[in-house]
Amino acid sequence: MKRLSQIITLCCSLYLATVAVQAQDAQVSEEQAQAGPAPLEQPVGDAARGRLVFGPCRTCHYPEPFMGHNNGPNLHRIFGKVAGKQEGFDYYSEEFKAAQFVWTPELMFTWLENPMAMFPGSSMMSLGVPDPQQRADLIAFLMQASVREP
Amino acid sequence: MTKGTGDTGISRRGLLTGLAATAAATVAAGSAALPRSAVTSWHMRTDVMVIGSGAAGVCAAIEARQAGAEVLLIESLSRFGGASAMSGGVVYAGGGTALQKALKVEDSVEQMYRFIALAGAIHPPLDKIQLYCEESAAHFDWLVAQGVPYTAKFSGSKELPMGDESLYFSGTELAWPARDLATPAPRGHVPGVPGMTGGRRLMETLLPTAEALGVNLRAGVAAGRLITESDGRIAGVMVTIAGEPRAIRVRRGVVLACGGFIHNREMLKQYAPHLYDCSVPWGNAGDQGDGINMGIAVGAAALRMHEGFAIAPIYPPENVLSAIVVNASGQRFISEESYYGVLGDAIAYHQQGRAWLITDKQSSYPTHQDSFLQVAEGNSIGELAAQLDFPKGALQHTVGYYNQHAANGDDPLFRKSRTYLRPLQGPPYKAWDLSVANAFFPAHTFGGLRTTVDGQVLSSFGDTIPGLYAAGRNTAGIPTAPYIASGLSVGDCTFFGRRAGRAAANRSRS
Repeated sequence: MKRLSQIITLCCSLYLATVAVQAQDAQVSEEQAQAGPAPLEQPVGDAARGRLVFGPCRTCHYPEPFMGHNNGPNLHRIFGKVAGKQEGFDYYSEEFKAAQFVWTPELMFTWLENPMAMFPGSSMMSLGVPDPQQRADLIAFLMQASVREP
Repeated sequence: MTKGTGDTGISRRGLLTGLAATAAATVAAGSAALPRSAVTSWHMRTDVMVIGSGAAGVCAAIEARQAGAEVLLIESLSRFGGASAMSGGVVYAGGGTALQKALKVEDSVEQMYRFIALAGAIHPPLDKIQLYCEESAAHFDWLVAQGVPYTAKFSGSKELPMGDESLYFSGTELAWPARDLATPAPRGHVPGVPGMTGGRRLMETLLPTAEALGVNLRAGVAAGRLITESDGRIAGVMVTIAGEPRAIRVRRGVVLACGGFIHNREMLKQYAPHLYDCSVPWGNAGDQGDGINMGIAVGAAALRMHEGFAIAPIYPPENVLSAIVVNASGQRFISEESYYGVLGDAIAYHQQGRAWLITDKQSSYPTHQDSFLQVAEGNSIGELAAQLDFPKGALQHTVGYYNQHAANGDDPLFRKSRTYLRPLQGPPYKAWDLSVANAFFPAHTFGGLRTTVDGQVLSSFGDTIPGLYAAGRNTAGIPTAPYIASGLSVGDCTFFGRRAGRAAANRSRS
């Protein structure tokens, strides 16, 4: 429970940072920026439906360990890893090289809503999965696929 | 592509004093293009402006700069490279390239031309195909000269080599009917890096070249409407920099090179409904059709807009190619060893998006895979058919006929190679869903603006639109449906991108 609250705090702070940047760009008022979004509610995901939601991610990422890294890092056992530190992957952005956080399903759910907005320095040029149910399905799939041994 | 780039070099003061351009954009709201008379101030001036930082745009920028033009290249995203950097980086080349010669591969321009012209779409763009085939060996030399690394190694794999091999059969050359139409040769030239990041390596080579030549590369700058003179000539481009509309004056030519429209769902549904139904849009986040729409808005013709690649990646592993693929009537319709773009095209465009892979014990997937769902299993073909909705007896008839001839090394219908041909025998028999909706079915668009071989954009009346050029997936080029080989798209992007850049630079200043 403590971990979860930490995650939520992290997500919120990341979000506020993002919103603040966007707010600056759009020249909206400071009060609006500080209001921030409510923490995201994560629907119950369905791994079977998530299989194809994950499809476009395969342009750059494989959950299967034997496929190795591609333009994006391999996702085998991604949950629980500190972001931006996988051996053999040379393409991390400075932002991810310096990251200190651990990938959790909750954090990834938050991130994938609009990846380019949340970590603007990331090299992952993804439109994300704006629909919360589809995003939860993707995470459910990845939780299965990322721990499958060949 | 590694360059960070929110830095557009535009100061806050610059933004605040650019109100005239903002007003001009307000006038243009909702219009297809912006008349030059509405532009009251130019934010920047350049000879050639390239929109998009994939292979087509960067090659155009390199050539335009080398021809002496001042070049501005913009990219809407924060990273350069486009879909090309995410691709395998294969360039289809032949007729005796340096790499083919080094590996003692026999090939000719004529056989390469026959393959592209005859084994794919009906009425393909023969002018572009001919020029491409005649000059692809020289074009490959140019890529080598830019520093793209290739190894003198051949791979017998049917899929993009996972090692550092640089030459392979990247298409459907060896499958019937292609092998009867043109002498097969390996023509897939891929940067010699392990894994599937050849496209990244290609762009990591070309982008620094462009930068070193003095191309002004700006990321995070999105193109809006084209700006036209009263006689239709292109005068410039509206762009958005840090949320503000700005007018860029272009003296010689604008090169539209910002990709296809696979990620624009609305446009996809309207123009390419077959691709819309495919489960996995495959491309770069910037593939929104912007360049195509900018061109259409100033009178350009758009061709083959419904075409694209639709891929059913049943291999690897290659043991699966001994299985058969059937349609909703329980009948075969293609040689299963066909390039997966040819198989996918047949399913998406010609079988109502539905097909099944029927495997026996030996041709089944040996390990778990997420691409295709197993939808039936039985100890006999009859048992399998009973679980599927095929017409009564159809699948049994298909397998009986196939087995009878396969036992003699013959496939009268689709002439599958003996490498993969054998009777289906040995339970368990399984059926795998290859439908566009349920299978992992990547799709990408090929439709785009009509251009000359020099990248000049043509209007719906067939006239050139002065000052407007396009390349890559902003154009209808060499890749058509069915997609018959990997490398035709990046090959087309690099080759015709270079020509468009040169032509734009050589146009007299307006």
